[in-house]
Amino acid sequence: MTPPPVKGTRRITLLALLTAIALTIFMIEAQLPVLVPIQGVKLGLANIITVYAVFVLGPGDALLILCARVFLGAVFSGQMMTLLYSMGGGLLAWLVMVLLRRLLTRDQIWLCSPVAAIFHNLGQLLVAAGVMKTWAVMAYLPYLLLSGIITGLFTGLCAQFLISRLDRLGR
Amino acid sequence: MNRTAKLILALLALLTAGSAAFLVLRPSGEDHPVASITLDGRLVEEIDLTKVQEAYSFTLEGESGLTNTILVEPGRIRVDHADCPDQICVNQGFISDGTEPIVCLPNKLIIQITGGGEALDAAAG
Repeated sequence: MTPPPVKGTRRITLLALLTAIALTIFMIEAQLPVLVPIQGVKLGLANIITVYAVFVLGPGDALLILCARVFLGAVFSGQMMTLLYSMGGGLLAWLVMVLLRRLLTRDQIWLCSPVAAIFHNLGQLLVAAGVMKTWAVMAYLPYLLLSGIITGLFTGLCAQFLISRLDRLGR
Repeated sequence: MNRTAKLILALLALLTAGSAAFLVLRPSGEDHPVASITLDGRLVEEIDLTKVQEAYSFTLEGESGLTNTILVEPGRIRVDHADCPDQICVNQGFISDGTEPIVCLPNKLIIQITGGGEALDAAAG
């Protein structure tokens, strides 16, 4: 069951609302203490919104929300330098999710998140390798693969529950 | 469960097992640790950690004006202080082997430990 596309003012409001929710989740998560002292290891809870947007609203709207959230997140957390890494990872993950959107059924949405998380981390490492001009950062890859799969499964299940419940509500 | 889902699950399981196995099985510990410090792609310092007698620290300033204070002790090295907001490099603490480098993304700083060995000894003369 796919709901009819949302248009006009309703669409703009919905996108703004989802961006605000994603940004709030992002900022709250940023306040949590760092558990693993490795760059790039984090829960990535804001991606629940990205997964939701890709599957329910479509790739274009999801990209708008993602870019707005990543940019505003960098501004609000005062770490403009992380913008490059987040964008590199975010865009690669978005691309993979758009591909998986065609392959997965509506009750398999949770599977797309760990895959997207892996590609998010891979994108970040590639940007880091480019910025630092060294492949040494790839030493983090096994850690990021493991953490990406675990946190991806978690955010994926969150998104799955969210979408399944909202489907039942009939929006 | 269709084929796509099974394939993805299998790949995820494979990657998990592969990464875990790599982290557990890889050799750790270099008998002759040499720390090389790279700032924005340039090698700025190479420290033979076995030759360090007493602890000392120094500060490096990157292009963006951010600084990292690096503490060197016999056999190990860490970032002691950094201007960046995330402090991940500081929290990482000391490293003493080549298993993972310390990376400071905001300042484009990398501290990496290599085995060093005879080639470097010869070069250092």
